[in-house]
Amino acid sequence: MKKKVIGLIDSGSGNIGSIKKAILKTVKYKPFTLKIINSKKDFKDVNKIILPGQGAFATLIDNLHKKNLYKELLRLISELSIPYLGICVGMQILATYGHENKKIKGLDIIGGDIVKFKKKNLIIPHMGWNNIHIKKPNKVFDNALDQKDVYFVHSFYFKSVEKKYITATTKYHHNFPSIVNKDNIYGVQFHPEKSHLVGMNIIKNFIFKA
Amino acid sequence: MLKVRIIPCLDIIKNKVVKGINFKNIRTLGDPVTLAKKYSDTGADEICMLDITASHEKRKTFLKTVEAIAKVIDIPLTVGGGISDIKDITTLLNAGADKVSINTTAVLKPKLIKLASIKHGSQCIVVAIDGKRFGKQMLIMIKGGREKTNKNVVSWAKIVQNLGAGELLVTSMDTDGIQTGYDQEMLRAINKEVSIPVIASGGVGELRHFKEGYQTKSTGLLAASVFHTSKFSIQQVKKYLEKEGIPVRIS
Repeated sequence: MKKKVIGLIDSGSGNIGSIKKAILKTVKYKPFTLKIINSKKDFKDVNKIILPGQGAFATLIDNLHKKNLYKELLRLISELSIPYLGICVGMQILATYGHENKKIKGLDIIGGDIVKFKKKNLIIPHMGWNNIHIKKPNKVFDNALDQKDVYFVHSFYFKSVEKKYITATTKYHHNFPSIVNKDNIYGVQFHPEKSHLVGMNIIKNFIFKA
Repeated sequence: MLKVRIIPCLDIIKNKVVKGINFKNIRTLGDPVTLAKKYSDTGADEICMLDITASHEKRKTFLKTVEAIAKVIDIPLTVGGGISDIKDITTLLNAGADKVSINTTAVLKPKLIKLASIKHGSQCIVVAIDGKRFGKQMLIMIKGGREKTNKNVVSWAKIVQNLGAGELLVTSMDTDGIQTGYDQEMLRAINKEVSIPVIASGGVGELRHFKEGYQTKSTGLLAASVFHTSKFSIQQVKKYLEKEGIPVRIS
């Protein structure tokens, strides 16, 4: 049986160690292999794509361009419908624009803007465990995840997302989308690779069900 | 709702978890990997580990311990002690740390905070503040508490926030190790002036101390020996806090 290939993009911003470890735990004994994507040609034969991201929106976009991955990633997930899971900034770049320092164009797959939490006396970053409220379950994120706590660390959130793309919300001062989904494309604002058993289950669901 | 984080801390010398009183009288309490895995499995929200000797020749052993711990836990790991430049930070992140905690070097070379937060993102740069009272003043101590500086804890906290620190780990040397509770005065003074998350550290001996720590507006509550000696389990602390109406993650 031909093994399915999970492509983990190493954008160069943030380390991919913990997500790599989580994927390997999940796919142990199963017909999958993990491939680290560093250049366009690494995308060959990939059946699932995971992009973890830390730090700034602009840095991630820049790094994808520098490694010549940007266009190919966009083609694979929006034209060839390869399942995609974006984590943290890997989710945020699905937006139309990011507004960190200056306005920067995103992949524009799910309309909306990435903006900073703004409220006097609010502790930023939103750091720690917070619950997700499932609004619109799908095959990766089912109702069993409703109200489960997952680990967040971010200062920016996805604003003005159309309701139909919001799988779950989380409250930090106000409600914001913590999981988004459009067809084969999934994004999570939190870190499943740091979210203990709940997070491991999410990674497993994406790998086996998306 | 955001939950308060319960963070067991492993002070490490030569691959052993140790505890000192007021940074002195060190005794051994267990194996770091075994303890870290136990805490992760029983509901700790993060793990913190510190190389408290931070001697150059022991560094390789410490890095191996970091790698071994990162492998067995699925929650965030903060690593501190002995960081002197950006290379040390990159090495620790590659070894499996999610955040690094900088103390002495932040005081000696504040530019490192800025550099590191630009390179790796503020979210992984923790500045550790060891504070101690001298009369009415609360001053920053460095080099594991051996050296006094003229920096006031609150003004220093504001400076490092502006330099790009994503979080503060505040230990009061007046309460550390003596189990009489967190230094609420110091924590409140800092939390009033900064808008980044603060981890309270130093002094937990009773369950109510966790509640008192939360009331200072700190979002992380760190403790060491009460967990290592099994005086309290993580679940016991969380059940207590939940009963007190404080949001915790019950896994």
